[in-house]
Amino acid sequence: MQEFFQLPVFGVFISIIAFAGARELRKKFNYALLTPVLVAIVFIIGFLLIFNIDYEHYNRGGRYISFFLGPSVVALGVFFYEKYEEVKQHLKVFLLSVTLGGITGILTVIIFLFLLKVPGFIIESLAAKSVTTPIAIEITKLTGGIPEITAGIVIAVGIFGNAFGPFILKKLGIKSKIAIGTALGTAAHGIGTARAFEESKLAGVYSGLAMCVNGIITALITPYLLELFLGLVS
Amino acid sequence: MLKALAYIFGFLLLGEVTTYFFEIPIAGNILGMFFIFLALRLKIVKLQDVKPASDKLIKYLVLFFIPYGVGLMVYFEIIAEYWLPISVAVIASTVITLYISAIIIEKSGK
Repeated sequence: MQEFFQLPVFGVFISIIAFAGARELRKKFNYALLTPVLVAIVFIIGFLLIFNIDYEHYNRGGRYISFFLGPSVVALGVFFYEKYEEVKQHLKVFLLSVTLGGITGILTVIIFLFLLKVPGFIIESLAAKSVTTPIAIEITKLTGGIPEITAGIVIAVGIFGNAFGPFILKKLGIKSKIAIGTALGTAAHGIGTARAFEESKLAGVYSGLAMCVNGIITALITPYLLELFLGLVS
Repeated sequence: MLKALAYIFGFLLLGEVTTYFFEIPIAGNILGMFFIFLALRLKIVKLQDVKPASDKLIKYLVLFFIPYGVGLMVYFEIIAEYWLPISVAVIASTVITLYISAIIIEKSGK
């Protein structure tokens, strides 16, 4: 049996089945914490632990799935082009919002983790925690952190933004749908964007674009901010 | 569909090659995203030529990062050791980011 689990087809199959099942579950029970990606990951980890399968063996197939992250990031460029026309009229304030929000997201998490005495490799893994998972993973590969830690926390950030983002923003006096959408995309990437579309289509479009723009900004400056900050304090 | 996939992988390759030869600290796929946006803006590539593949990839984006999420199990002990400072830092940072980003647009009256 263990030999079967080492075949690449096992990792591919369980990933697809877990994801499809989790999506069906979400259709039946519309509850924020039942985000398909979280359910699928928890299910697969549970399965691997119960049957005593190494992550390495699962990932022999899993890596064929994650390979598609590369072309997916390129596809985000197409999405950005398509929606670009819709935000053109508010472009300046939109870019200002995403840029300042993006820089705030990187700086505050680096500073807080540092003050709480968390080891450097975790800080390197979490500096890009606000951006979409495939981009965050690439940033972490460059900064020397651990991509798997990045992926886990980035997904958690998205779920947090999805579940509580609009509530927090409304409590803080934000009324504009454009503001809520942009903030969700900047701070909580694609999983936050899914929630923004539930607020309104306009909020969703701004959120999706904010996710792309912050992905680029964060990719450009995170290595330098980390170097600057960790260089200053060491 | 085949043409669309060729474009997507072509731009990915272009991004990777650029990163490789110029040794810039940006991932090849992020450069690819930037290049394909420029190519569409400059009308070098037509939207309908790439859309079939890009729509499908974005539709299943979440599936593609599941294996990395599962990889977290290998680092479970590290996360367990630092779960409190990580949670505090990440949640506080996310709330501040949400607010800064939202208040700029709210104050502009949009």
